[in-house]
Amino acid sequence: MTVEPAAASAEVKACCAAAYSRDAVALLLGESYHPGGFALTRRLASALRLRPGWRVVDVASGPGTTARLLAAEYAVTVDGVELGDSAVERARSAAAEAGLSSRARFHRGDAERLPLPEAIADAVVCECAFCTFPDKAAAAAEFARVLRPGGRLGITDVTVGDGLPRELRTLAAWVACIADARPVAQYVDILTNAGLVTVSIEEHDGAMAQMLEQIEARLTVLRMSAADRLAAAGVDVDAVLRYTALARQAVAEGLIGYCMLVAKKPA
Amino acid sequence: MAGESRAVAGNGRAAATGKQERNEVFVEYTKSICPVCKVVVDAQVNIRGNKVYLRKRCRVHGPFEALVYGDAQAYVASARFNKPGTIPLTFQTEVREGCPSDCGLCPEHKQHACLGIIEVNTNCNLDCPICFADSGHQPDGYAITPEQCERMLDAFVASEGVAEVVMFSGGEPTIHKNILGFIDAAQARPVRNVTLNTNGIRLAADKAFAAALGERNSRQGTVNIYLQFDGLDERSHREIRGRDLREIKRRALDNCAGAGLTVTLVAAVERGLNEHELGDIIEFGLAHPAVRSVSFQPVTHSGRHRQFDPLTRLTNSDVIELIAAQRPSWFREDDFFPVPCCFPACRSVTYLLTEGTPGQPGFGVVPIPRLIQVEDYLDYVSNRVVPDFAVREALEKLWSASAFMGTVTTEEKLRAAANSLNCADACGVNLPGAVANLTQRAFMIVVQDFQDPYTLNVRQLMKCCVVEITPDGRLIPFCAYNSVGYREQVREQMSGVRIADVVPNATELQPLLAESPYGSKIARGQHRPGNGHRTAEATNVGRRAVPPAGRPQEMRP
Repeated sequence: MTVEPAAASAEVKACCAAAYSRDAVALLLGESYHPGGFALTRRLASALRLRPGWRVVDVASGPGTTARLLAAEYAVTVDGVELGDSAVERARSAAAEAGLSSRARFHRGDAERLPLPEAIADAVVCECAFCTFPDKAAAAAEFARVLRPGGRLGITDVTVGDGLPRELRTLAAWVACIADARPVAQYVDILTNAGLVTVSIEEHDGAMAQMLEQIEARLTVLRMSAADRLAAAGVDVDAVLRYTALARQAVAEGLIGYCMLVAKKPA
Repeated sequence: MAGESRAVAGNGRAAATGKQERNEVFVEYTKSICPVCKVVVDAQVNIRGNKVYLRKRCRVHGPFEALVYGDAQAYVASARFNKPGTIPLTFQTEVREGCPSDCGLCPEHKQHACLGIIEVNTNCNLDCPICFADSGHQPDGYAITPEQCERMLDAFVASEGVAEVVMFSGGEPTIHKNILGFIDAAQARPVRNVTLNTNGIRLAADKAFAAALGERNSRQGTVNIYLQFDGLDERSHREIRGRDLREIKRRALDNCAGAGLTVTLVAAVERGLNEHELGDIIEFGLAHPAVRSVSFQPVTHSGRHRQFDPLTRLTNSDVIELIAAQRPSWFREDDFFPVPCCFPACRSVTYLLTEGTPGQPGFGVVPIPRLIQVEDYLDYVSNRVVPDFAVREALEKLWSASAFMGTVTTEEKLRAAANSLNCADACGVNLPGAVANLTQRAFMIVVQDFQDPYTLNVRQLMKCCVVEITPDGRLIPFCAYNSVGYREQVREQMSGVRIADVVPNATELQPLLAESPYGSKIARGQHRPGNGHRTAEATNVGRRAVPPAGRPQEMRP
């Protein structure tokens, strides 16, 4: 299958034009979505060796689903930081409903300027968001600042291989909010420059494939229910589905992936 | 003894002639029954070659083993999809002998009844070679009276408060002269939905009857049709039903569509007969305006059935694999999720959103589990937090034995599940809204392996949520009713005719078997062993394992 880069780009723009300033994944899968779901969040929590009573910062906490899970299942206190006002409000009310208000707190703030004092966190988590931060070095420096010495950072995120063809870069950018996803080695470099030592890297490419399938399923539903409105909005679902198939192919070939990365702030 | 101490003293490595590894993983210790004499016996579940087997031994009839799940990985993984049970408002019996001798429901039962079945008769206008109820043109059966039906409904409502579904079955319920009155009696009570389990012969011939059901379907509660439908090949019909019913099924379905009735196609699936038709049945259902769901049930080896091998019988995972293999562009095996209200190995379900007609341009199908992370809601072991409790509640009702397409509850919960698609307007289209619109065309696929005297496992039985309501007001778990001897007991009480225990028509049992008057198999020379025999207990409970000092333990029989 061949994809005309220019055509792909036009389609991407057409769809994203309707997408406010949001990325396509949040658009289709919801802002609480992240690849790997609860299972990967739990794996991340155990890689961070969370202990009861610890204080955890969740950067880009969305509607607070991960914060509630960590507070309820690992008995930690979580400070969620999220850019969107409405997400912060929803996170607070969901935590209150679950009786977790005292252990899952939410702050409006930017990852590049966390509204938290330094060295307060035993652990920092950031799920499927690092790749979207425009200034990754600043965000990494903020992670390091709020971590106590010996504290751990856990990131799950999209990775792209060095050999990713140009049209897939465009495509990938559309498909998986990865406008600025990097090879895993670059993430490691960014963290190293912020003074964080990477201690483990795990591949979870299956989570990426699953996310693409979920996008395809939701697009298909949109087409089934509102084909004419999509057409009016300039979206050719068939074309988009061809790109997601191509992206799945790229995942199968290891050109796009998903990783869990744990780093440590030296004691 | 000497050999043992040498082995222990050795360096831990088995000598060439020494100990051997078992070829299986022992995973459960439970109770079952002897398939021949129905005596309660200990049983064990083992995994061998990625398949799950139940094994037991009767002191009189020897060892028995049956395949219970074709995919051990899936069996173990399903354990997490197990919902805490709900306590019914009343129990009908006491705990005396233990499961499965006290049905039911006894206070040790772990779940309320999602679905109550009333068998209105034993007579049928067919004499199918495969019939777990052993029904047919028989001179000595029974039919319940309106008073009995009311008492049965009252017993169910007393237990449930508001009952979700009552199913009228048989025999063939549509030939009971009071069937419409029975449905009225159910609808006069707090029963949300009525399902009529039928072979379709009367529906095909009697449009007025279909219309009368349609009228009752437009009342406060709904009436749905559970239509026996085993395939599209003539051979499947002849082997399973004894005659070619294809034209009758077609007319019955068209009459249902004309009367506004929602239909579930129910296929009994047997190895070597119709296992190749699963995809075709789904495709046929998707194309017919009356059909909103398909239920696949591996043939229950109770009552009448073809000779079979318990070690190669079909199980839920086999059926799911066949569906995925026969329609790979529509299904994957992981589109199906275990139902958590009953024991998760008993039933698996998926829902499809569809558009258009299969084989025509513009046809689309999306399994709902590809839109929603079902495991984040229905895995009760891992999840102490769920993304949204309202969505979990909706999915619980959809992944339930009480879920039938066409009911108000199922339609509501499909729309509620759409709310979990918490995303923004995509390209000007609201996805939850889009899905909610599509739920009117949602399609359900159920895979349910009912237990038989070979596969019966009280671990599953104790959480069964499908019950047979008996004329004396008991609620007996469906698989206990068919396997343990309750069906024979009730028929004997109701008809006054002695009924011998039905024995599975297994290849290995052939030397022991004789024909019953109804076409099923019974033990040779066993006209009636007496009813007390049914619940005799041969498990190792009820006495000390080691006799008290100074007193020799009495010899076991």
